[in-house]
Parts: sequence; structure tokens; C-alpha cells
Amino acid sequence: MDPIVLTSLAVSLIAISVIFTVLIILIFTIKLLVYLLPYQEPPATKSSAQAPPQHSSASTTVTPDIISAITAGMATHLGKSPQEFYITQISPK
Amino acid sequence: MELTFGNAATKIIGSTGFSSLTIGDGTMILVACVLLYLAIWKKFEPLLLLPIGFGCLLANLPFSMMASTDSGGLLNFFYQGVKHEILPPLVFLGVGALTDFGPLLANPTTLLLGAAAQIGVYTTLVGAVFLGFDLKEASAIGIIGGADGPTSIFIATKLAPHLLAPIAVAAYSYMSLVPLIQPPIMRWLTTAEERKIKMEQLKPISQTVKIIFPVAVTIVCCLMLPGVTPLLGMLMLGNLFRESGVTARLHETAETHLINIVTILLALAVGSSMTAESFLRLETMKIIILGLLAFCVATAGGVIFAKIMSKLSGGKINPLIGSAGVSAVPMAARVSQKVGADEDRSNFLLMHAMGPNVAGVIGSAVAAGVFISLFGDPMVGSNHAEISTNIIATISSLPK
Repeated sequence: MDPIVLTSLAVSLIAISVIFTVLIILIFTIKLLVYLLPYQEPPATKSSAQAPPQHSSASTTVTPDIISAITAGMATHLGKSPQEFYITQISPK
Repeated sequence: MELTFGNAATKIIGSTGFSSLTIGDGTMILVACVLLYLAIWKKFEPLLLLPIGFGCLLANLPFSMMASTDSGGLLNFFYQGVKHEILPPLVFLGVGALTDFGPLLANPTTLLLGAAAQIGVYTTLVGAVFLGFDLKEASAIGIIGGADGPTSIFIATKLAPHLLAPIAVAAYSYMSLVPLIQPPIMRWLTTAEERKIKMEQLKPISQTVKIIFPVAVTIVCCLMLPGVTPLLGMLMLGNLFRESGVTARLHETAETHLINIVTILLALAVGSSMTAESFLRLETMKIIILGLLAFCVATAGGVIFAKIMSKLSGGKINPLIGSAGVSAVPMAARVSQKVGADEDRSNFLLMHAMGPNVAGVIGSAVAAGVFISLFGDPMVGSNHAEISTNIIATISSLPK
């Protein structure tokens, strides 16, 4: 085989090894970062959970536009036509 | 000089472009029109192919002084941004500002898919050597498989500037054809059952991790491969603008106006390098074929590696996300989503595919860094060295 082809094969092997090495180092760096700095729920969630009286007003602010958007999202997710189901109730979590 | 009707008419006719229009110029004008057609009517990467096509058109009009080689011409000034490696890193700054590394951070093992897709780069390198290119040229051609336009231009400028035009055109053309090239390969390499695999929802990532990540990548990668610092450093700076939350104006500028302006300059400069002398050669045809090979092998490499990961994880990974390991953000991820949804409409792979997709950007930049370490001068660009030498020589020659 031509020496330059052999060289190119060697270059390819070395290069792909370097890429995997660099990216594996990055994987462990990310894992370490995620372990040391875990995700924490933003405090805003807590305050909304502590305010049950707002539920009724929140549910009354669900406009037809929001219903349409939820229906479209559900239809895509379920793979059904929007005419095949209808939303009867939206409960706050 | 006496100006008679006859010699005035002859002079005017002689000064028109028609008088010295060659067959090569005509062919290149035709090529420019094809690129414009593909961009406008076929919507193939119009943001890039349109200015590239128009730059090519301008460059091939005789006496227009618009070719990249026409010293003092308008596009020659734009071309300096390519020659001195300014514009591709600035595009990366904008790309970094646009990219959310969240899916990658939530599932870091997908970085391996970004590495696996680089197999296309190296298969093409060997193929290019078989076809008679030297190692530097073959490296510049191989990087097309990374599906990353700015990286391809960056490497071509450094290692094979005479091949810049065909490499850039091949890279951007095939990037626009990702939705046509990838799906048959993805379907061929996976079973219907594998395509239906639903992946677990990604976990949220803390903002602090998102802020530290670009700094960590810059330190790790740029220390290992200094040649890649202009590209990766700018990518990560753009991302830091985005994630830090304290540079809203810089982030907004980088992801909108800056990247748009730089794209216009870069694409016009690339187009201006498409002259008949540099483009109408047998090498161009070889590069077009090798570029297609690069994209196909990169896609296959990603999918096969994802299949292996799927088996090892007990079927938790859908192999279709492997094809997104080629950069082409976000088109390759969209293709994974579409092929998955074709099999099962309730399967949402987009966010999962964004992980390997952005990993592909890092992977192709790292691949470029390896080439620079092997074949280039990682300390300074050759052009920069040349400029420095000229400046020193000029200063030395000044009277004391």
C-alpha cells in the first residue's frame, strides 16, 4: 500500500482517539459539575404552591386561546385530530 | 489624442466586460445562477447560498475587480476577513449565542455521538488521499464531514487556501441537503422497533452549570488543542453571553445583527473566491464527491454508535439521535425528530437530538484542532506571521 495512504490511516486513528479522549474528559467534567451543582427548583414555584386562593382566579384566566393551544399540543402528542377529543376541565397542579 | 467616432466606439466596446468574457467566466456565471436558483426557489441554505452565489457572479464579471484575488477590490477587502481567520470565529460567536447546551449537559454521554460522527471526516481524509490529494488538502476536504461551514472555511484557509471555494460550496450545499441525505441512511441502519424507542425526559440543569460549562470547555479543549482556540473560544464566549444573564445587549447583538453581518461578509468573500481558475478544475468534482461521502459516513457513524449505546443502555437511547452528531444545527436534530415521528407520531426526539447536535459542533471544532496540531502552526496563523514580519521589516527600515 502507498505510504501516504498508510500515513493517512495512522493520522485518522490518532485523530479520532484524540477527539474521543477530549470529549470523554468533557463528559466527566460535566458529570462532576452537575453532581456538585445540582438543579434546584426556583423559589417562585414555592410561593405559587402556598397561595391556594389564587387557584380560582388562575383558572378563570384560562382564555379560549390557551385552550386552543393546549388542544393543538395534545392533538400532536396523541396523534389524534382535535375533533376526536375535547378538554372538560383544567385543574391547577 | 484625437477622438474620432471610430476609435471612441472601439475604446468603449473594448472597455465593456463582453470584450473579454471567456468561456470560463460564462460557465461560472451559470454556476452562480444555479446557486441563486437553489437558494431562492429551492430554499437550500438561502442565507448562505444566496450571497455566495451573488459573490460568485460579481467575481466572474470581467473588469469588475470583485474577485477575491483582485487587490484593492471591494470583495478582496472582505476576503481579508477569511484569509486572516477573522470571520469564521465571529460566526462561531453568534452560533454560541444562539446555542442552548442544556440538552447536552442533561445527557453528557451524547457527546460521544458528536465524536462518532467525526468518523466521516477521517474516512473522507483517507478517500481524498486515495484520489491524489496531499495530507493537508485531504484534511481540509475531510472536515466537510463535520457539516460545519465556518470550521470548513477556517481549516481550508489554514491548510489548503487554493481549495477554499469548492470546499465551502460543497460544505454548505450538503448541509442544505441534510434532510435529503440523512433519512435513507437512518432508516437503512435501524429497525422500526429501534426508531420507536421513547427516551426519558431530560433533567433540568442548574444555571450555574450552564455558566461554568463554556469556561470549562475553553480551558480543557484549548489547552489540549491550542489551534482550535479562535473557533472554540468564540463559540464559548457567545454562549457565556447567553447564559451569564449579565450581558443581554451583547448576547442580543451576537445572535442577531453580528452573525447576520458576518454571514454576509463571509459568504460574499467565499463567493468571490469562486473564479474560473480556482473552481473549474477536476479537483472540484472530486471534492463534491468526497463531500457527499463525508456526509453519508458521518451520518452512518453517528447512527451505528448510537445503536451500540442503545444496546449497552438496555434500549434507553433511540439510535436516530446519532445522526444529529454531524453539526448542521439544528437541521440534523430536526431530521432525527422527523424520522422518529414518521414511525411513531407521539415520539418527540428533538430535544434529545439537540444534545448530539451541539456535541457535533464541539466535535468538529476539536477535529479541526487536531488537524491544526498535526499540519498547521498552532501558535500563530501563517498569515499573521507574515504580517508581523512585514511590520518588523517596515519599522526597521524607518529612518532613525
